[in-house]
Amino acid sequence: MEPRPSPGMKMYVTVWIGLLLIVGAEVALTYARFPVGRLLALLLVLAVVEAGLGLLYFMHLRYERPSLFWSLIPALVVVLILMDHFWPDALRLMHQKLGAGVGAP
Amino acid sequence: MGEAAMTVGARPGALVEESPYGIPSRKLGMWLFILADAATFGAMLFAYGYLRVANPDWTRPFAFWPTIANGIAMTVVLLTSSLTMVAAVAAAQAGRQPASLRWLGVTIGLGALFAALHLREWIAMIGAGWRLFRNPMGGPVLFGATFFGITGLHLLHVITGVVVIGVIALGFRRGRFDAGHVETTGLYWHFVDLVWMFVFPLVYLLNVR
Repeated sequence: MEPRPSPGMKMYVTVWIGLLLIVGAEVALTYARFPVGRLLALLLVLAVVEAGLGLLYFMHLRYERPSLFWSLIPALVVVLILMDHFWPDALRLMHQKLGAGVGAP
Repeated sequence: MGEAAMTVGARPGALVEESPYGIPSRKLGMWLFILADAATFGAMLFAYGYLRVANPDWTRPFAFWPTIANGIAMTVVLLTSSLTMVAAVAAAQAGRQPASLRWLGVTIGLGALFAALHLREWIAMIGAGWRLFRNPMGGPVLFGATFFGITGLHLLHVITGVVVIGVIALGFRRGRFDAGHVETTGLYWHFVDLVWMFVFPLVYLLNVR
């Protein structure tokens, strides 16, 4: 088995600082008072970037064989995408309740 | 023979085929567990999203002080524990056992601090009248169910991680476990950190008043 390169502590500390900055950005965006849909999208994008950094560097996926990445990550992404089938039903309930006056000013 | 080349149950002298992933089977096992656990957390977060969308009068109870400030502190503690964990793994792989044990000890301390901060928050919320199926603010009762359910499952993972790191550190000190065990435990710990990267924005920040 060929030796796997290690990123070294300097890279780990850089990633850690980057993750802390992203958390700071998330909090700042929350108090910027965006509409909830836009805030959700922004927070999800930042969370995915954080997860990617964690996977690639802290969990070393970047330094493993590509076969490991391609065996694991697409499967998880497909599972998470399949869960999106339930949103129309949640939206149906929301419209039903809004129509009944719940949450109306 | 490399660790990854070893096959479970192979007899001495048997033909040994290297893993297509180039990693030991215990590490692949941990990756498969992480995959399954990620789907579990994904399902819980989707269920929370479903309930939130379906209830237009969803409660948004969190103020910056104390909840969000506490959440930021918990996030910093957990991220820092991931850094100390990679330091422990790097030291173990370099053969520096005392340094690795020190970093594992720091990781356990940070994990315990995260759990303590979390429990303090839970106790304050329960004191304010929050329960699994009771909302003291008068909104949907499912807020408590989703909040305590998701954060409780994550807290269970943190406490389990602290115990497992302690067991692995003891075994590593006694020579029963090697650097590979430390690395595999590190994978689990980073995953717990990674899940929090979704829980904090979705369950805390999206529920700011």
